[in-house]
Amino acid sequence: MARGSATAQSTTSEGSAVLGRGARVRGRVRGEGNLVVDGQVEGDISVTGDLAIGDGGAITGDIDAAAVIIGGALTGDVAARGAVTIRSGAKVVGSMGGAEVSIEEGASFVGRIEAEFDLPAELQGRPGAR
Amino acid sequence: MAGTIIGQGITIEGEITSDEEVVVAGTIRGKLNVDGPVTIDAGAVVEADIGATSLAVGGTVTGNVTASERVDLLSGARLVGDVKAARLTIADGASFKGNVDMDV
Repeated sequence: MARGSATAQSTTSEGSAVLGRGARVRGRVRGEGNLVVDGQVEGDISVTGDLAIGDGGAITGDIDAAAVIIGGALTGDVAARGAVTIRSGAKVVGSMGGAEVSIEEGASFVGRIEAEFDLPAELQGRPGAR
Repeated sequence: MAGTIIGQGITIEGEITSDEEVVVAGTIRGKLNVDGPVTIDAGAVVEADIGATSLAVGGTVTGNVTASERVDLLSGARLVGDVKAARLTIADGASFKGNVDMDV
């Protein structure tokens, strides 16, 4: 049964931001909505939405976002509320934390991964238990 | 499409430089230097000195503004700061407080 009232889409309005190829930011970036970085950022980024680093993008700093897709260069830690995807061609140095972390073939990654997921029941209990 | 778009919900504290067009709908505190056109949308808040080739202000800017070509203050704009530009227009409904230097 369709809902009657047709109010505007309630996705974050104008929630997108793009730091284009020619842009360089030195400082903190915070905000609501999604962010696409094709330029260079030196500083921490904290957004409520998703963050995507294009293949020309480079970020030096920590990231706090929902889902994170890295196609370019990142030196810093990622704390994602969603999935972290490191694309082919990306160069990442840092700790990745997220609901899931995936690294595509051709990506370069140095760091630590901390994905939060529940172990299946049979593996619960002391790690390395015989 | 503009090279760089700083959306409504985004706040950047620091220095931004770009060699492509920049559209600001969010908040910037710091410095903005663009080798190209800059548009400050209505609702944007910029507390920074701005350098650009051309600048169109529809929002609020607190800071000194230097443009190599022109500065246009649109209706609803608020600019507190000095303006240095070859050409300047201040639309009816814009607010402006500062010095103007058009001798580039």
